[in-house]
Amino acid sequence: MSKALGIVNFSGNHIWVKGMEEYRPIGAFSFLGRYRVIDFPISNMSNSGIDRIQVYIRRKPRSLVEHLGTGRHYNINSKRGRLHILFSESKGDNDLYNTDIAAFSANLECIERSHQPYVVIAPSYMVYSADFSTLLANHIESEADITLLYHSVDNAKDTFLNCNTLNLNRQKGVLSLEQNRGNAKNRNIFMDTYIMKKDLFIDLIKKAKSLSSMYTLADIVNNACEELDVRGISHRGYFASITDLESFYNANIELIDFKRATSLFDDEWPVYTRTNDSCPTQYFETAQVKGSVVSNGCLIEGTIENSVIGRGCVIKKGAVVRNSVVLPGAMIGEDITIDCQVVDKHAKIIHAKEIIADPEHPGYIRREDTL
Amino acid sequence: MKQNNMLAMILAGGRGSRLHDLTNKVAKPAVSYGGKYRIVDFPLSNCANSGIDVVGVLTQYESVLLNSYVAAGRRWGLDAKDSGVYVLPPREKADANLDVYRGTADAISQNIDFIDTYSPEYILVLSGDHIYKMNYAKMLAEHKACNADATIAVIEVPFKEASRFGIMHTDEEGHIIEFQEKPENPKSNLASMGIYIFNWKPLRKLLVADMKDPDSHHDFGKDIIPRLLADNKTLYAYRFKGYWKDVGTIDSLWEANMDLLDSNNELDLNDPTWKIYTEDATTLPHYVGPEASIKRSFVTQGCIIEGEVKNSVLFTGVEVGEGAKIIDSVLMPGVKVEAGAVVQRALVADGVKIGKEAVVGSADSEHIELVAKRVKGVE
Repeated sequence: MSKALGIVNFSGNHIWVKGMEEYRPIGAFSFLGRYRVIDFPISNMSNSGIDRIQVYIRRKPRSLVEHLGTGRHYNINSKRGRLHILFSESKGDNDLYNTDIAAFSANLECIERSHQPYVVIAPSYMVYSADFSTLLANHIESEADITLLYHSVDNAKDTFLNCNTLNLNRQKGVLSLEQNRGNAKNRNIFMDTYIMKKDLFIDLIKKAKSLSSMYTLADIVNNACEELDVRGISHRGYFASITDLESFYNANIELIDFKRATSLFDDEWPVYTRTNDSCPTQYFETAQVKGSVVSNGCLIEGTIENSVIGRGCVIKKGAVVRNSVVLPGAMIGEDITIDCQVVDKHAKIIHAKEIIADPEHPGYIRREDTL
Repeated sequence: MKQNNMLAMILAGGRGSRLHDLTNKVAKPAVSYGGKYRIVDFPLSNCANSGIDVVGVLTQYESVLLNSYVAAGRRWGLDAKDSGVYVLPPREKADANLDVYRGTADAISQNIDFIDTYSPEYILVLSGDHIYKMNYAKMLAEHKACNADATIAVIEVPFKEASRFGIMHTDEEGHIIEFQEKPENPKSNLASMGIYIFNWKPLRKLLVADMKDPDSHHDFGKDIIPRLLADNKTLYAYRFKGYWKDVGTIDSLWEANMDLLDSNNELDLNDPTWKIYTEDATTLPHYVGPEASIKRSFVTQGCIIEGEVKNSVLFTGVEVGEGAKIIDSVLMPGVKVEAGAVVQRALVADGVKIGKEAVVGSADSEHIELVAKRVKGVE
């Protein structure tokens, strides 16, 4: 049993994924056909032996709650373990006040009551695999107050723009947290993942609340960098931050490359999700599918190239799906061509003959839309 | 139980010896089918979808895997209060010697104590090795409407094949007049599907008597049904229309898989109102490589396909290497076909590896080739 309580945090109000986020929080976004983004942090926790997990939801809880359910599919002990879904009590009409700190303090007694002396906090909107048990052991051994996980990238000029970066000294001490403004290529992207003692976490929540009603956890940790021993640990392997439509699209498309996918998926480190009991996918005589990831329950008569196809999609005869991410239950009609699109759940494309965008700015087709 | 006062008992003890190496280590009901299922998922899912919530599964032959598999009733949603799947292998009792199940009827007889704990009004007896979707609640409604003592589900089969089945000869209203087990000259083409509904109390009496009868085979088809007819009981034939397959041989198991490839196939596993539930595999969706080609095939999650797949059914976690060709074949879970190998008209058993450029099966073979051992590749 882990010494840490797992906390899955929501995205702050500076992040907004056009279109998709109108329907659900980022954690509930369908990912690589059969997953949801939140399956990754929860599976990381479950595989690390963390079986007390709190999931915080800021808005639009429906699809996330439906997906998480009792959490049994995450392979956590059904008696000793628990997946606890917590809602932030919205503060009036102004979303600016709906910070993670506000959510934590509204549910403070749930955090205080847990028996674990440490907390591991991970975001519901980032995709990576990490062994929190090793990270926790390192954190305890290092005697640091807070450990932050970061990923060094060389493309921070035009990606990860909504993320925070860590300014580190040579000993990996964190000097400050700063929003990535895209003015340098090489950056240490903060993975919004924290490890600390639970008591310190509670102190920080209280302190943040007294300093400003708009403070987030990242803000108060940035504030604390001078007084506390805050250290960064570099993460290796696959990392994606789903913080806009482009990053959602790119993360799906880049994982079509099987080599790339093996840096995220590992037989020894399974990613759990809720099963839908769909039957296998049926390919018909006219199907032409290359370089793609296809989920179960699809009926495929058309052409698919370099795309991710969600559960239960129908690709009709003569349809061409290229460089696209098609979410579960969508239908691409006869002789329709789509290129560089994100097709949201249950959309039907029957009339529009061609929907084409360029890969830098993928198009978005709304949920349940008929085009 | 409360829903319809009917308890289901699935006969899953058979070996299925005509499936050869496939059933060396597992019982026939545990054999894989349709990409992600096991055969026993069909009667279990049918029970769950028909609102039957207590199911006994009678196991005997190589039952370790089957026992643990069916015991997880949650997979089929059979885990609510007062609901459950009970695994019932032969067991030692205080008042009787430990004995194997001597026949289909004996398997039920030996579990009378279990059935009594629920004291159901009706009992549904199913076979664990048939592939079909059926609403047993409808059958029960007809059983009640006809005031029958027993109802047997039947399906029309071609007359020329009728001598392979137990044949029911009925009057115009569907009452069974005569039962012929594998007759040379069948009087009808209504074959028994091995699905029975009995009123429990009278059946219980009959079973107790049958247990003591030294001349009995303790079999429903051979003993119990003829006994009921001889006693002038009301036996009703419930006509089923739809897909039904007894997969007794390698050829028929292969065929049943191939049936899924027809568009609008009768079994329609994609029907959201009657899903077949099975074990959830923690795998990725399937990967289709840049040089792959997949035509008229059924492919499930966890597969990695880099070669050519045609007219085939690929089960969970199958890998097809670059340039490999899979034609008219069934690849069971975890089969790995290395680059350049050719598999044709074959059924490859669970986890078998087919080496580089190996050739398995042939296009014009009379029977489907069963590949149950590793095939070495060309070095």
